[in-house]
Amino acid sequence: MKRFRITQQEIVFVVFAALFVFCSLFLKGFLTSANILALLQNVSVLGILGLAMAIVVIGGGIDISLIAALAVPPGLVLQMVQDGHSLSSSIVVAFAIAIAFGLVNGWLIAYAEVPSLFATLASGIFLAGLGQAFLFRVEVVQWSDGMAGFDRLGQASVFGVPMPIILLAATCLAVAFLLRRTRWGAYIYAVGDNRAAARVTGIPTRPIIVLQYVLAAVIGCFAGLVLAASVNSMPTRIFNSTLIYDVILVVVLGGIGLSGGRGGVVNVILGTLLIGTMLNGMTIMNLSYAAQNLVKGVVLLAAVIADTFINPRNEETAQQGDI
Amino acid sequence: MSDIILSLEKATKLYSGVPAIEDVDFELRRGEIHALVGENGAGKSTLTKVMAGVVTLTSGAMKIDGAEASPGTPLEARNLGVAMVFQENSLVPTMTVAQNLFLGQERFYNRLRGINIAAQQFLQSLNFDVPPTAIVGSLGAAKKQMVEIARAVLHNAKMIIFDEPTAALTPEERKYFFDLVRDLKHRGVSIVFISHALEEALILADRITVLRDGKKIVTDDASKFDRARIVQAMVGRDLSHTLYGVKKTTVRPAGERVLTIQNLKMAPMVKNNSLSIFAGQITGVFGLVGAGRTETFKIVAGIMKRDFFYGGDVILRDKPVRYRVPAPAVKAGVAYVTEDRKIEGFFETATIARNIYLGLLAKFPGGRALLSQRDQSASSADWVKRLNVRAIGDAAKVIELSGGNQQKVVIAKSLVQEPDLIIFDEPTRGVDVGAIVEIHELINRLADAGKAVVVISSYLPEILGLSDRILVSRQGKVVEEFSALEATEEKIMYAAIH
Repeated sequence: MKRFRITQQEIVFVVFAALFVFCSLFLKGFLTSANILALLQNVSVLGILGLAMAIVVIGGGIDISLIAALAVPPGLVLQMVQDGHSLSSSIVVAFAIAIAFGLVNGWLIAYAEVPSLFATLASGIFLAGLGQAFLFRVEVVQWSDGMAGFDRLGQASVFGVPMPIILLAATCLAVAFLLRRTRWGAYIYAVGDNRAAARVTGIPTRPIIVLQYVLAAVIGCFAGLVLAASVNSMPTRIFNSTLIYDVILVVVLGGIGLSGGRGGVVNVILGTLLIGTMLNGMTIMNLSYAAQNLVKGVVLLAAVIADTFINPRNEETAQQGDI
Repeated sequence: MSDIILSLEKATKLYSGVPAIEDVDFELRRGEIHALVGENGAGKSTLTKVMAGVVTLTSGAMKIDGAEASPGTPLEARNLGVAMVFQENSLVPTMTVAQNLFLGQERFYNRLRGINIAAQQFLQSLNFDVPPTAIVGSLGAAKKQMVEIARAVLHNAKMIIFDEPTAALTPEERKYFFDLVRDLKHRGVSIVFISHALEEALILADRITVLRDGKKIVTDDASKFDRARIVQAMVGRDLSHTLYGVKKTTVRPAGERVLTIQNLKMAPMVKNNSLSIFAGQITGVFGLVGAGRTETFKIVAGIMKRDFFYGGDVILRDKPVRYRVPAPAVKAGVAYVTEDRKIEGFFETATIARNIYLGLLAKFPGGRALLSQRDQSASSADWVKRLNVRAIGDAAKVIELSGGNQQKVVIAKSLVQEPDLIIFDEPTRGVDVGAIVEIHELINRLADAGKAVVVISSYLPEILGLSDRILVSRQGKVVEEFSALEATEEKIMYAAIH
């Protein structure tokens, strides 16, 4: 058992290393500092979203509504500033909406006991629809003068390192601290590992589940702000893109078992690097968008199958009682 | 065509090395009704599962109609003429009666009217009052059972096995079921049925086999049995050479009353249950399957909820309580050590140390936001030593441990919470002999230290060996109380069966 789990992380790492070496050797312009920084910058929003998803998946659930949390509250910030509100109050409103959204998700899943997949699917569609119907006047919310200075969040650089990479690193540290060093982190692992046992032990399982979805929504909102600052607008149609699949890809590929209780921030970093290298390499090779999707699909399928083999769900343990 | 339709010789089935049945010889005659009786875990279910092809024998031989047979699946058994009606019935609830009857025999093109007519004729020939177009899920327990029986007969079953057939039936339905079974007998079908109700076995069966601890004790004509002889056979163990050999000569006196339960109700398992638990002694709770023992104490620990209306009272140290989740119960000093450690006992991906530390955190968070590595290693080192958990180190994952060591970790996770009322539900199930001794010593030490200890067990010697006071539960409530000094296996078993 134990040897197996080490091998799993090793597999991801080895695949990443092999891919990296392959790209460095055969693709012109891959192994330049400019390209590597661009690679990292391209996946930094994805990485931040991956961290949000990781919290939920470790806690035994899944959050399909992340993209809505990424698109709608930050889009609202841009819209409100356009309408003449101050930047700081807009950001406060955005985070308040994200928190409320996470609370609704958490309540649906923990207290109303709706399966997380359906609850977040529905709530995500609802929030995106709400944004498109009432909050935004155009599909791409544009930058306005009131946002001046905010674009540094996406475009500045410190010692040559672009800001999004630094923010990704900071979020990694924060989430790692939460998961590994705090009581709530320990509870999230416990709930994901065995919810019934956590309950019997006296851990407040339902508040912990709510906490997971609030954290996910807040981190998703933060990722949205970084995205908006990078491209000077908020394309709210991003909700209709395949971004959520990339997020799941990062988490599963990194080796966070969908059965819960396993993995950590390291896995998200590995998954993000692997995806980043893959996408960057394919772009340099000039593969079409369709072909890229094909490759991603195959890789995700392989990762999910590997996950069920390496982290088998324990259904066989149920039968024993009556002899 | 011999007179013996099915026979087993030296049948043995091991579950991970532990025998569920051992060297059992069994014969079923054509057209007889044969009752299997025994305690929980005596091997009745396993024996019938072997016949029905659900499990295969580890060693020994089975003959059906004189020919060697070892069905590997229920389908193979069915083709050999053996049908089994399970406790949880195996019908598809969303389909109609007719569809269920012909399930698995559909042709490429199915005329619904055709199977409805066929089902109607067939059910009428059996005199079963079930409409073939009714959805199975909407039928009562008795009608569902009729459909199961009809299906078995339709498949030309030569023998039908029933596991606790009357448990879910009302008295009238039960009487009707008896008539059905007798009717089947006249058609030449052999019947095997498991029952906890001895009267049923005595009235209905032609022959009775008593099992105990996986071994056949006796098979004889029902007319030669009475209640006393069956009970004697069910419990008559010779324990002088086992760890339960010493009979208790002193009992601990009752201390302060810690828990009072009055008229507790949770439909359908707990019915008007009332009992008290005292500090400083071990209260053993015995009962057969469905006696509502686990449910009663899970309500106390906040794991299950009693009925909202007229649910009765739980009084913990003079204070009425109603816990909706276990967390406040844990805080109030109640610990429940589960009977099923894999489902709700331990965290399998976590280390021993983390499992124990989670128990500590849940009870004493103390406003602490950050984890303390020092607290974790200190508490786990302490408990690993106190409970003698054998592992390479406390960084080992719990899933890698043996059953006994896993159980010790689950116990440590509860004891680190310093509870005053500790409920052990089947504390030694699936645990090796060495660990059983250690766990029993631990339970005794807890009582000596003044804790209120409850031990729920289906194993009579364990109840007798541990308890100072014994409560016997039957059909959802406590029906009898004994002091350990006056209790005997016979007395307890008499109270537990009906």
